[in-house]
Amino acid sequence: MAFDPSILIQYWPLFAQGAWLTIQITAMAFVLGYAVGIVVALIAQIPNRLVRILVAAYVGVLRGIPFIIILFLVYYGLPFAGIRLPAFITGTVALSLFASAYYAEIIRAAILALPRGQFESARVVGMSPLQAMRHVIAPQILRSLVPPSTNMTLTMIKESSVLSSITVAELTYQGLIVQGNTFAPFEVFAAVTLIYWAITMAVAWLAGLIEARVGQAQRETIIRNPLAAEFLSFDRRPVR
Amino acid sequence: MSFQFAYLLSVLPTLFTAALVNARLAAIIVVIAVLGGTALTILRSLKIAWVNAVIAFLISFIRGTPLLIQIFLFYYVLPAIGLDLSPEAAGIAAIALNSSMFITEMMRGGLQTIDPGQIEAATALSLPRRAIWQSVVLPQLFRRILPVLINEITIVVKGTALLSVITVVDVLRTAQQIASASYRPFETLAGAALIFLLMNLVVIAAGSLTEARLAVRRG
Repeated sequence: MAFDPSILIQYWPLFAQGAWLTIQITAMAFVLGYAVGIVVALIAQIPNRLVRILVAAYVGVLRGIPFIIILFLVYYGLPFAGIRLPAFITGTVALSLFASAYYAEIIRAAILALPRGQFESARVVGMSPLQAMRHVIAPQILRSLVPPSTNMTLTMIKESSVLSSITVAELTYQGLIVQGNTFAPFEVFAAVTLIYWAITMAVAWLAGLIEARVGQAQRETIIRNPLAAEFLSFDRRPVR
Repeated sequence: MSFQFAYLLSVLPTLFTAALVNARLAAIIVVIAVLGGTALTILRSLKIAWVNAVIAFLISFIRGTPLLIQIFLFYYVLPAIGLDLSPEAAGIAAIALNSSMFITEMMRGGLQTIDPGQIEAATALSLPRRAIWQSVVLPQLFRRILPVLINEITIVVKGTALLSVITVVDVLRTAQQIASASYRPFETLAGAALIFLLMNLVVIAAGSLTEARLAVRRG
């Protein structure tokens, strides 16, 4: 089997359109998902049992079922409720919902990691709960949010490929169309894969820049003991 | 059209039977992925430069591309190079490869939390390499990574739903077949969602139980 680049040259506009739609959808889902995630994380701070159970149910359900089923539920559920939307909006909504549960957990965990006194002190000096969150908690958790949020965003970009199954013409869908026309799976999936890889690498690089700006670069612990490094490390280091 | 709870209940038995497919596939995948991830970890610890470079490249590839595409690669591309896998086999291979890469990365993180003194002590007792891995490093490593490993297992369980796209008749595909006959997609899919939720709750409960037992044994 030989690699035939002419297929890619002939169909490149489809790949480009698909990639662009993937970028647009995931960017929108990031903004929407993060907004909902912040709201859910804030609601989770309300000291009330019922509220806590509801938040846990929201997060647990969205994380416990496969994204493809969340997508189909939204896809069939919205018309069921009398709302008819284009597939790509339905897909974006489903993706945002899915991501929001994870973002909420990330934010909640970051707040939880702060000393409890932070919030209470802010309240004591007369701030409202929201003011305390905005001026005291938020600036402190910003750094610890970046690495897990990046991870989740990469996951979300990858999950967006599932939108192809409700005919959203994103990258995977276009790949399947070209594959159907050309019967050249190797060339097609090589191209699709490389484009996804490029997108996720670009996002990871961008997140690296943000992380460098807000600080807290995660550094791996260096195992100095050469005996232990033989088992516990994968890196070859000069032994002194 | 209103939501019919009775209809949801009526499709559950059929979906439960189909869920056995997901459970079986997930179990096979988890076993392969844990073994594969462990083997990769030991291989990486040998610090053979080019091997580690290849593995690092593979990890970056697997982490940077969608699981769905990886499944398509196994299903559509392998036959083109003469390796014709059944949908189930292609699915198992794709998810297991994906998961083993994530597991070896978890293990890399876990290794750094193991006390170097342990290895020194084991070496002082002149334990052979194999025994150090088997009796010193791996048991502690698995205990450390258990919480993330359980999370990974739930990801695998959810991943099996994607195999419906390559015609594996699992919960989701069964649900779609029922829905296309009854025109009640929402209830049927809600049933499928419920079953996945249940499967993952079982995984999480089993995980917590194992964690608690290990904690007790450690004293």
